[in-house]
Amino acid sequence: MVTVDRRPRQRRGPLAGLVVADFCWMGVGAVATRMLADFGADVIKIEDRTRLDMPRRLPFYKGDVRTYGEEDPNPDPDKGGLFNNYNRNKLGVTINMRTERGREVAERLIAASSVVTENFAPGVMERWGLTYEHLCELRPDVIFARMSGYGHRGPHTEYRSYGPVIQAVSGLTHISGLPGREPSGWGFSYMDNQAAYYNSAAIMMAVLHRELTGAGTLIDVSAVEVGINLLGPDLLDVAANGAVTRRPDFPTGNRLEHPRAAPHGVYPAAGDDRWIAIAVFDDADWKALVAELGSPEWTADPRFATQAGRFASQDALDEHLSAWTRERDAHETMHRLQAAGVAAGAVQNSRDLDERDPQLAHRGTFFDLDHPVIGEARFEGSPVLFSRTEQDNWRSAPLLGEDNEYVFTTLLGMPADEVAELTEEGIL
Amino acid sequence: MTTAGTNPYAALTVVELSEDPAGEYTGKLLADQGADVVKVEPPGGAASRRTGPFVRGRDDAEASLNFRWYNTSKRSVVLDESTADGRAALAALIADADVLITGRSTVCGLGPHALAEAHPRLIVLAVTPFGLDGPWASYRSSDLVGLALGGPLNSCGYDDHSIPPIRPGGNQGYATAASFAHTGLLLALLQRTRDGRGQVVDVSMHSALAVSGELANPFWFYPRAIVRRQTCRHAQPSPTQPALFQCADGRWVYFALILADQKPWQALVDWMDSLGLAADLVEPEYADLAHRQANFSHVQELVEVFFLLLDGDTAYHEGQRRGLPIGITNAPEELFGDEHLAARGFFVEVEQDGGEPALQPGSPFWFSAFSAEGPRRAPRLGEHTEAVLGR
Repeated sequence: MVTVDRRPRQRRGPLAGLVVADFCWMGVGAVATRMLADFGADVIKIEDRTRLDMPRRLPFYKGDVRTYGEEDPNPDPDKGGLFNNYNRNKLGVTINMRTERGREVAERLIAASSVVTENFAPGVMERWGLTYEHLCELRPDVIFARMSGYGHRGPHTEYRSYGPVIQAVSGLTHISGLPGREPSGWGFSYMDNQAAYYNSAAIMMAVLHRELTGAGTLIDVSAVEVGINLLGPDLLDVAANGAVTRRPDFPTGNRLEHPRAAPHGVYPAAGDDRWIAIAVFDDADWKALVAELGSPEWTADPRFATQAGRFASQDALDEHLSAWTRERDAHETMHRLQAAGVAAGAVQNSRDLDERDPQLAHRGTFFDLDHPVIGEARFEGSPVLFSRTEQDNWRSAPLLGEDNEYVFTTLLGMPADEVAELTEEGIL
Repeated sequence: MTTAGTNPYAALTVVELSEDPAGEYTGKLLADQGADVVKVEPPGGAASRRTGPFVRGRDDAEASLNFRWYNTSKRSVVLDESTADGRAALAALIADADVLITGRSTVCGLGPHALAEAHPRLIVLAVTPFGLDGPWASYRSSDLVGLALGGPLNSCGYDDHSIPPIRPGGNQGYATAASFAHTGLLLALLQRTRDGRGQVVDVSMHSALAVSGELANPFWFYPRAIVRRQTCRHAQPSPTQPALFQCADGRWVYFALILADQKPWQALVDWMDSLGLAADLVEPEYADLAHRQANFSHVQELVEVFFLLLDGDTAYHEGQRRGLPIGITNAPEELFGDEHLAARGFFVEVEQDGGEPALQPGSPFWFSAFSAEGPRRAPRLGEHTEAVLGR
């Protein structure tokens, strides 16, 4: 096997030359700074050997299926796949921030950086003396990006949160489900991803601002507020019309009221728990669907003659359509309906995305990188392709402390014997 | 030239030709931060003007709340692309723009790459369901179809698998595409500050959703496991305990009871005990994780009863005060009274056509060095045609 050169190199991309002192951990922060690392920034992830980042501890191991939450009591910090996915293209150093000499090293790193990022519970950075005011002393044009659930002002800043809590509090859970029963909400931390994307954007807006004016900034992004921004027109219905969403016919599950689509739903397909989404918006869509079904007698039912009629008769419509989809493979049905011009899509799981989705393959949405402990692994890449800019995938995630020598001696210019001594004392 | 205190987007001129919420929301993100976003509409108005919900009692072109949500802070220009004049006006707008947001394969007869070549500083932000090319590029999509094909829908729904996967609300497929359109544009803008040149930014909603399912792909990439949906909690390779509890007032709280962590366990038992509802959970054998695990269904039942005796807000705030990560499932109408959001001045009053101002979410970002004002009134159809086109 070819030995991959893991030594840091000159990065390429629109963010090349930007150095980020990255205190982020867990999901939101790591995903937010991942985009910076993917497009050329030197993102230096600062970790604590005695308090391992959760994704290093979670057992996403090849050939070893466990449910999230079933922790490995003695994890190999370099083996976790989730950490690899979140932290590729970053540099990794270890600093014990609970020691004064560790904090001194961190301050030197900050002075050599121009962006500082963190997503700790409120008060942690302050405890280390790393307030925005102090960061400005170390680096006058610093950008200090603070990512949290509730933001750094207001009575609930101390509230604990993670994706599902943010989704609940912001209203995104309540608006998701079948009417008349508990919300189905979200089966993943949607807001970890979205808050991360909004934080990436905020940091790049600040970089753009600094390029234009020379000035840095403090950034405060609250995941709850991002979530509320994502609620959609239902919120304006409440604000402008005084609508109440705690009502028996809200939310509407897979049915779509605006615009009045019908049939509009997720229908059973052949196989175990396989499904297909179909969306019919107007008469042209309906005619195309009916033709593809072979114009069975039930489609001539006068109730289904107009879009309004179909919308009013969805129970009957869905029953007929389900009887047809149930006999067929979801992907085959999708291709048939799409060829006829009807919006339809198989409900794909991750294996489908990876193995039977030619569109993702065409765009190279997933890519592979080798890792010294994990071996070759697959990664979630950029959904955006550029005509003149490429994602610069130079390395999988750093091993714990992998770049200590490069960052502390080459980048910061610390004497090798000082680094050796601090390492010996457990400070680095 | 941007000066200190001014949002960097204040210097941006954007032309928006969008037919779906992904492109429209991208335009809104820019306009709310101060960009001059000119929304180009056909004579009858954008399709989003005909989509509900509507202002109660109205259904005219100015009454769509859907339009108002997705088009705050923009300017509206009406032009008829079926006429030579209209096409010339559009071409002139694009020639002066920094950014063109579009979901179309051609604009003024040119594809995205030809447009970028014709206008070297222009960033063509193509926001489409599947991307500009590839085997599915001409497939049709929608929010539901996008969420299905991209993977998120596979994780969402109920424990009962006779019920299909359920689409989460609020057009989140489109919103995910818009997030990547925003960050993709920023990368292109930063590239342009280096070399003065624009480019084509090709955003695929399908790819955006395929990389946004959180744990689903890592579960496949590493242990080769497929997650299965569960009611309002993480889809997993194997089932986990319910995390949604109903309260006395009928509202639900989200609370994942993880037995293995000693501190939250003790905080929960202390809380239940303070109301005389801990029953036998105070017994010393429950200090042992193995005992808790062996009696999990008993624990779960007691916790269910406990929450049924509290109202939702008390469960949320008192639980959080005790350090437990509990979330109340707020309805949108309950957000306006939230003391934390009020203290942050989050909601802003936005003028409404023909009615009282309405509260809308303020900027999702806050910067100390420059303003991030948030939304202003959505434009009336063609409101800025004369100002922009000079006629």
